Amino acid sequence: MKAVIFGPGRVGCGFAGQLLRGSGHEVVFVARNQAMVNHFNRVGRYLVRLVGQGRTEEIMVEGIRAVWTGEPDKVAREIVDAGLVSTSVGFRNLAEISPLIALGLSRRAEPVNVISFENFGTAASYMRRRVKGCGPEGCNFSGHGFSPALVSRVMSERLGDPAGNEPLIFVGDHPDEFVVYGKRLVRPIPEIKGMRVVDNYDAWFQKKLFMFSAGHATTAYLGYLKGYHYIHSAIRDPEIREAVLAAMREGQQGLMAQYGGDLAGDEEHLLEIVARFENAALNDSIDRVGRDPLRKLGKRDRLIGAARMAEKAGIEPEKLMLAVAAALYYCDQDDPSCTPIREELETIGPDKVLREVSGLNPGRRLSHGARRIFAKLLEKGPRSPLLNLEKFFWA
Amino acid sequence: MKIGIIMLRYPPGFDSPVMSGTIDLLTEWGVRVDIIYPEERVIHLSKIKPEHDLYVLKSRTEMALAYAGLLWGAGAATLNPYPAAAVMRHRISAASMLLKGGVPVPETYVTAHPEQLTDLLEEGPLAIKLYRGTGVRGIHVLWDAEEMDDVPTNQGPIFAQRFIQRDNPVRKLYVISGEIFGVAHPWLARNSEEKRGTPFTITPRLREIARRCGETFGIETFGLSIIGTDEEAYVVDVHSFPDFRGVPNASLRLADFIYHYCRRMMRGEILPGALPSRREI
Repeated sequence: MKAVIFGPGRVGCGFAGQLLRGSGHEVVFVARNQAMVNHFNRVGRYLVRLVGQGRTEEIMVEGIRAVWTGEPDKVAREIVDAGLVSTSVGFRNLAEISPLIALGLSRRAEPVNVISFENFGTAASYMRRRVKGCGPEGCNFSGHGFSPALVSRVMSERLGDPAGNEPLIFVGDHPDEFVVYGKRLVRPIPEIKGMRVVDNYDAWFQKKLFMFSAGHATTAYLGYLKGYHYIHSAIRDPEIREAVLAAMREGQQGLMAQYGGDLAGDEEHLLEIVARFENAALNDSIDRVGRDPLRKLGKRDRLIGAARMAEKAGIEPEKLMLAVAAALYYCDQDDPSCTPIREELETIGPDKVLREVSGLNPGRRLSHGARRIFAKLLEKGPRSPLLNLEKFFWA
Repeated sequence: MKIGIIMLRYPPGFDSPVMSGTIDLLTEWGVRVDIIYPEERVIHLSKIKPEHDLYVLKSRTEMALAYAGLLWGAGAATLNPYPAAAVMRHRISAASMLLKGGVPVPETYVTAHPEQLTDLLEEGPLAIKLYRGTGVRGIHVLWDAEEMDDVPTNQGPIFAQRFIQRDNPVRKLYVISGEIFGVAHPWLARNSEEKRGTPFTITPRLREIARRCGETFGIETFGLSIIGTDEEAYVVDVHSFPDFRGVPNASLRLADFIYHYCRRMMRGEILPGALPSRREI
């Protein structure tokens, strides 16, 4: 079987490509960067370095090739006889690749599955709508499967130069499981190592988002407040570690009320997540994890979504709100993704930002909690050596 | 990632807990850390070359400084750049630079002959310090001319500063990657708890002093000794790599910064000797 992967980035190469190739499938990447296309066609392989838990595993992914998005006909020809199409381009770039996927699918005789490795809840349904909207007249795409995929692995960086002849290196941690939405797939479902087909995808998605992702973001935003540069450093700060565990616990309690203990897991599960954050070999920076706070403060996203679910379960999401306030404060000068939120905070203030971005009305308790902490951050500054998150929160 | 830390071997039981913790963390994070004791080496000048991605000059000794200078000359990357460390060690140069950088220092004089300071004593006592060095070693307070004979004249230029009554406790500002920490401890700390001191709040004035000091020397990680009140604070000592005792999670913060700095250096994002100021003090 041939798999066509849009986006040869960290997730595309370091996760999807490696698992697909490891499952015996032919892999063709579709890239918009011509240098990457040339590199893959010249070198024909790349290395996945999996680190953590005191061991390093290196997997050479061989026999790969690539086509350029600037050649739609070539891309469509690859899709025509593919057994799977996948995307890992980032949610915001899905619109750009939709016409290419539509063109390829329109030429197919058999249905195929399109799996979006975007870690974004609505990525697959969005993709289906986009493809439907830009396909040729009279073309029916309803026979194809469009499923999101939930990636368990943290892919932190790419090393190497596409202009060179040495294989690129993609660094991540060991987990190799991903969850897809069985109800959104068409048969035959391809055999892929690590794939778990579930019918309650939303629950799985929220599990990852409200525990792992919420904890990751909390580590980044509190780490920023205390001046750390890496996730593995910040999580070793006792105050941050405690706050992160508490934030994840709040998310977990919400999940438990909503879906039950089997899915939500126990305290051990949270400690396993924290142990993954401690993985220094990932070189996972505060900047990378904290990037795009505007999206991460979304109504259904990791922090607000988890807080709302916790609140619904009767839990006061104190530490999640601390993370929300820290996210509002986060404004790395080098990160353009922070500019919109910084500008909005300056022009319309935190109340309106929380209402417009996070869907929290100013009268709501959640909004009040986040705003109160944010005001304290502004007043006292985040870098006081006396910053004690616990005292700070309750002061 | 290979990091060399230039240190002085401590007698058993006197090692720096902060530095030990930092080294342990870096090692745990996969960094190869080599401790270098310049006093225990014979250095062949024509053969010296950098063997590490980054060096950290921890020791204050002349030999360590000389070794750091040789490495610097050979193109090594140093967390606390040799020129800054060398200037900080030279009190006359350091005070001059601080003044130029707008950092308040007590009135400062230099002379070859202590008796030439006699007239200055009419306006109050003077603190006489070794022109090379940091810390309290060799500091002598001159209250009147009769004490001139106590001032050693065989140790180079005499560095004199207007004596300002020291507060008890002594206040230190420690800066790690732009984050400022204030630690106060007794003038003569008797035990490790007293040496660790207690944190105090950084006022805007002290923040500004630390910022200017960092800019003056082009460094992000250093220490300052402060005397006087918050409104009228003076810097009396600077150190390019102090012991950071009393800073909350000092080992973790230092390890984080050293790791970050080394990675950026290896990726060519910063050049040896240049320091990024991603976060303003």
